[in-house]
Formats: sequence, C-alpha cells, structure tokens
Amino acid sequence: MPKLHAGSLRNVLLIARREYRERVRTRGFLITTIMIPLIMGGFVGGSIFLGSKTPSDTQIAVVSSDTQLALDLQTELERRQQPQLASAPKTPAHPASPAQVKRQARILVTAMDSGPGTRAELDSDLESGDLDGYLWITPAASPTGRPTFIYTSRSSTQASIKNALADALRQALLREQLAHRGVVAAEVDTMLQPVAIVTAQGVPREDHESTEISVFLLFFIMYLVIMLYGMNVARSIIEEKTSRIFEVLLATIRPEAMMAGKIIGVGSVGLTQVGIWLAAVLVLAASPIGIHLGGDAIHIALTAPQVIFFLIYFILGYAFYSSIAAALGAMTNSEQELQQLNMFLMLPLLFCFAMLGTLLSTPDSTAARILALIPPFTPLLMYLRVCLGHPAHWEVALSIALTLASIYGIIWVTSRIYRIGVLMYGKRPSLPEILRWLKYS
Amino acid sequence: MPIVQLQHVRKVYGAKVAVEDLSISIEPGTMFGLLGPNGSGKTSSIRMMIGISAPDSGSVSLFDQPFARKSLARVGYLPEERGLYKKMNVLDQLIFLGQLHYVSASVAEKRAREWCARLHIAEAIPKKTEDLSKGMQQKIQFIAALLHEPELIIMDEPFSGLDPVNAALLMDTLVDLRRQGRAVLFSTHRMDQVEKLCDNIALLHHGRLILSGSMREIKSSYPRNRILIHFEGGDGFLQNPNIETLQRYPGYAEIKLRSSATLAGDAQALLAEALRCARITHFEVTEPTLEQIFIEKVQEDSPGNGPNFPLDGIDEPEGSYLDA
Repeated sequence: MPKLHAGSLRNVLLIARREYRERVRTRGFLITTIMIPLIMGGFVGGSIFLGSKTPSDTQIAVVSSDTQLALDLQTELERRQQPQLASAPKTPAHPASPAQVKRQARILVTAMDSGPGTRAELDSDLESGDLDGYLWITPAASPTGRPTFIYTSRSSTQASIKNALADALRQALLREQLAHRGVVAAEVDTMLQPVAIVTAQGVPREDHESTEISVFLLFFIMYLVIMLYGMNVARSIIEEKTSRIFEVLLATIRPEAMMAGKIIGVGSVGLTQVGIWLAAVLVLAASPIGIHLGGDAIHIALTAPQVIFFLIYFILGYAFYSSIAAALGAMTNSEQELQQLNMFLMLPLLFCFAMLGTLLSTPDSTAARILALIPPFTPLLMYLRVCLGHPAHWEVALSIALTLASIYGIIWVTSRIYRIGVLMYGKRPSLPEILRWLKYS
Repeated sequence: MPIVQLQHVRKVYGAKVAVEDLSISIEPGTMFGLLGPNGSGKTSSIRMMIGISAPDSGSVSLFDQPFARKSLARVGYLPEERGLYKKMNVLDQLIFLGQLHYVSASVAEKRAREWCARLHIAEAIPKKTEDLSKGMQQKIQFIAALLHEPELIIMDEPFSGLDPVNAALLMDTLVDLRRQGRAVLFSTHRMDQVEKLCDNIALLHHGRLILSGSMREIKSSYPRNRILIHFEGGDGFLQNPNIETLQRYPGYAEIKLRSSATLAGDAQALLAEALRCARITHFEVTEPTLEQIFIEKVQEDSPGNGPNFPLDGIDEPEGSYLDA
C-alpha cells in the first residue's frame, strides 16, 4: 500500500485541487451538467407524455343484416367504454384533471344494413379517413351455426381494437343466446357484470412507482458518472504522459501521491456534478413550479437513506473503477490504446445495467443477493437492493467491507503499475511485463 | 561539500546497460556539463539524481546526504521532454509547480512575474500554454525549474530547439545563477556550449564515463597541435608530410599535426610554406576543441567502429557535434 505521509498528503491535495479547478472551469463540465439531466428528463418526460397522451377515437361501421346484433354490439361497446362513469361519478365541484382520469380510446360504432353499394361506399370512406374500419357480419347459414365476421381496417396496427371488438361480440352473442333461452334482460346484465379486482399493497401503489423512478434515475446517474469520470481519470493520465508533465511532477512527488491526487480531484468533480443535480431535483420538487410541472405523474420521492447510501456506494464505485482506470491509463500511451482496454471498465458496469430488470422486480432473490456482494457489482446493485429490497444489515456491511478490501487490493496493484507505467513511453506493455512490474516495484 | 555525488552508479533497463560505474561530483557555484551523444546515458544519470529512478547499485548523494526525496525541494529540474499542462494558463501553472516545491502561492506569483519579465515573455502570463510558441514554452519550463530558488539546478538539454538569441539569454541566466553560488548541471551534445560555459565536464559514451575533470585541465593536457588556417590561392602546402589529418573547407582548413618533439616548429614551417603559395588571412595554433577531444576519445573507446562511429542514436542533426 502506498505510504502517504504529511508531505505527500499536502501534494495529494495540491494535485487534486489543480485537477478539480481545471476541470470544473471547462465548458465540458458545464455542458454535461446541463445536458445529462435534460436528456434524462427528456426520457422520463417523454415516456410519461406518451403514456398519458389521449389516444384518438376510432370510427367503425358495423354492417349486418341482423340489425339487432349490430345494435347489441354498439351498446356493448359503449357500456364497456364508460367504466369510470359507472363506478365513480364525477362531482362538478371536483373536476378530474386529464392526468387523473386516463381517457381510453373510444370506439364509435355506426350500425348499418348491407345494401348493394355498401361495401364500395365503406371502402371509399376508409380511404378518405372518415372511417377507421368496418366489421362485416354475414349471418349464419344455419340456425345453429355462427355468423362470420370480417374486420377490414385502415391500418394493421389495431390489435387492441380487434380484441375489443371480439370481446364485445362474444358478449353480445352471449346476451342474444341467453335472451333466446328466455333469460330476462336484467338477469343477463347481472350475470355479465364485469368482475373488478382492486389491487392492494403494503405500500400505496403510486408511492412505490415513484420510488422506483427516482431509484432508477439515481442508479443511472451512478452508472453514468462512474463510467464518465473513471474514463476521465484514465484519459487525464494519458494526457499527462503524452505532455510529459509527469517527469516534472515525479521530480518532486511520489507517483502514489500523483495517482491519489488525480483520483480524488476528478472524483470531486463528479461529486460536484451529482451534488448540483441532487440539489436541483430537491429544489424543483419543493418549488411550486416543480409540483405544477411534475404533478402526480413524476412525483420524485427522495428519502434521506436513499441519498446517503447513494453517496456511499457512489464513492465506493468510483474509487473501485477509477483505480482500475488509473492502471489502464498508466499502461497505455494513447486514447486508441485505451479504447482497446476499456472493456475492463465497461463490461462490469454494463453487466450491472443488464441485471437492472432482475433487481427491480426481485430485489431480494438469491441471484440478486449474491450479485450484490460481488465487489465490481456491489456499488450499483447493492444500492438498488438497499432502496427497493430488504437486505439484512450484515449484507450491507459485508458489501461495503468487501468493496473496500478490493479497492485496497486494486490500489496496491495499480500504484505499482502506475509507478513504472507512467515513465514507459512507446509500446504497450505485455502481460508478462506487467507481472514483472508488480514483482519488482 | 559536493552538492551532487554519484558513486559507482549502475543502471540497467532490461538487457540494456544504461549507466555503468559512473562517479561524478558537483561543487557549489560551478557549472557542470554532462556530455555525450543521445543514448549515452545522460538522461538516465539525471533521472537517478532526482529520484525518478533508483540506481541498481552504487549511491547517489544530494547536499552531502544520501538521496532523500525531501532534498528535492532544493533541486530545480528541467526535463529533456518539456512537460506543461497544455490547457492551463501560464501563471496558474507556474504557481502550481512552485507550490509543489513548497513556495507559497503569493511568493510563487511574484517570482513568476519577475522571471517572465526577465526572460521577455511577460505577455505570455495570462495565456494558455498551448497558445505559446515552442521557445516560449521552453522558457516557461525553465522558469518553473527556478521558482523555488533551488541550490542545485539540473537541466536536461536546456538549449535544444531554441534560436541563438534565446539560447544566449538562457545561458546568461545560468551563468548568473552560478555566480550566485548555485550548482548548475546541464546535459547537452553541443560541445561549443560546454566549452563556453562549463567549469567541469563528464563525457559519457555507451553509459560509461570516458573523460571527466575541469575544463581547463582537460584542454591543457592536450598538445597545441591543431591549426586553423584561412587562405586564398593555391593549397599545395596542405601536402606537408607533418599533417596527420586534414579537413578542407571552402576558404579554410582544419589541420592536425603529427605529434613530435618539434611541434611548435612544425607549425611555423607550415605557415612559411603556406605563405609561399597563398594569401593567409587567419592562422591559429590551438589545443584541440572539446569536440575534437570527444571524437578522439570515442574512437579510442570503440576502435572497431572506425571513423563513422557514434552516428547510431543521434536523431538531432542540427547542432550535433558532427556538424563540422
């Protein structure tokens, strides 16, 4: 382990401060600070917008010589399209906002008899857009047989309408059959009453959903910032190697102090950025504008433990990955060479991302519990478990201990690679060479 | 009390012996020239003096004490490859480098401004390093090595890539620093610079010391057997049997006389002969130049190489000791 005494600590801070000041002043910092939330906000906002967007009504014609069936179908469709009205009648004093009552796509049905020119007329309506589709019902050839139904639509992407039609038809036919067998209409209504299942959960549903959204956002930020700033560490080392500033620095300070200063400096920039975002989210969430903008759709709930554990796991993850990045930077001489090696950084992070679904749905499954204890995955996955699942205290403690131990090991190896690697120009070292460095330095 | 002392230092990189059994010593208030072609071990030796690498065997002492990193605060170092933060502005950069050498920010700023004025680059202070010319960057690097008023100044190829005016400016600065009692060590392959500036020299070839000592003693240990003659007219006198080697240039010639007991007389005889066939505008009898000494020494060191010796490893044709 690098020995850092008082003088070195002073140098570490000097290096870190320089790194921090130079980075925070750049235009790149300003741009990422503004752009990343905008892009993420765009994603979230966009999906919410798409989700809440009122779908347009569908105009359908039903052609049948059996007028009763057509009319039944019409009433059936209308009946099922107004469940809100039936169950929760609106009071004028409390008008529902569009976001609260999600309007469903309505299917408007016109019943008509089939005539000689009907089909041609319907086809032209379809073409002009006055009609979205028509259902052609051919009566059954025999009394016991079933009529045939042909649905012609303007676009093929109307599976939901087809399903709704089929459902409604089945209901209408059933109604007709029951009526045939002498069941009274009122009784039929009771029999066909739809069953409503009310979902009940420990956590009120809406809160759970917004927890998931905010935790997902934090997960994504952690992923992004660790990757971005880990790569920044590697890149800045390569830059100092190519500009040969290393020699000037090494003539006064130890390579370990340089590495530590760089990691701390770059990491502080990342923390600053995350801090700005968190502060912005909190201010927005608390302000009237935020409530107005977000409304109930994006109610971002952040609790203190979520923020604290975010910081803990973010710092652990950053230290873990940036130390690896420092070694990669010390071993390579150019960005291109770095790109060939950066899979060591990307793969574990991408794996965490791939596991996101599992963790979100079953945060306490065996797989999730094991994965969250493996150091490269701990920062991202254990954080998800802490927020969404119920990890035991010992699991949280163990995950932190294991990650700290592996960071210690990585820094031990990295500082050795670093000490020699930074002065190596020219070709990239081979694996045996790197092993030799570890032995000799 | 020697400021720098290397004793029997050896450094090996893989299969290549970079420095072998090198012993040198530098006294305060002197200027020391470390000479040799590229790849001769100059930079490796310097790196061991400032702790970038450690010798495999032998010892390095700074300020009369075994090497310790804390001594480095008293050393100013200019690396061979210039290293500055490209995007950082000059003043911030100098302050940062000064702080690394335990100079407070305010003192570092004051000295940085003074030095920039002295080296005629005051206008560079607010600029970013990448916007400066190469010569200006080199001056900034030069200042960075001096901000903490080091007692020992180590400069690896300080004048390479500078125009003559700026090279002279930096040379004068180094001479001033020596006069203030600082020890200055610089490496170069420009023998003329060394001849002008250095009190003591060490000549390296293939990592070995092949010549060292005081400039004056080294030069006076050689016979005055070199003749420089500028002439117009016939050159029949160049056939003189006392001439051992001859370099013929338009309008002048450099001659090495055969060593003999009557060297001074031989020179006069040559002049007399020359006067008969040509008009002489310049005639000078001297000891060999450092460059000539160096070439001779290297040839002795590697006899198999013949006259084309140390071209290997030399990648900077301009200003090399092979100019002539």
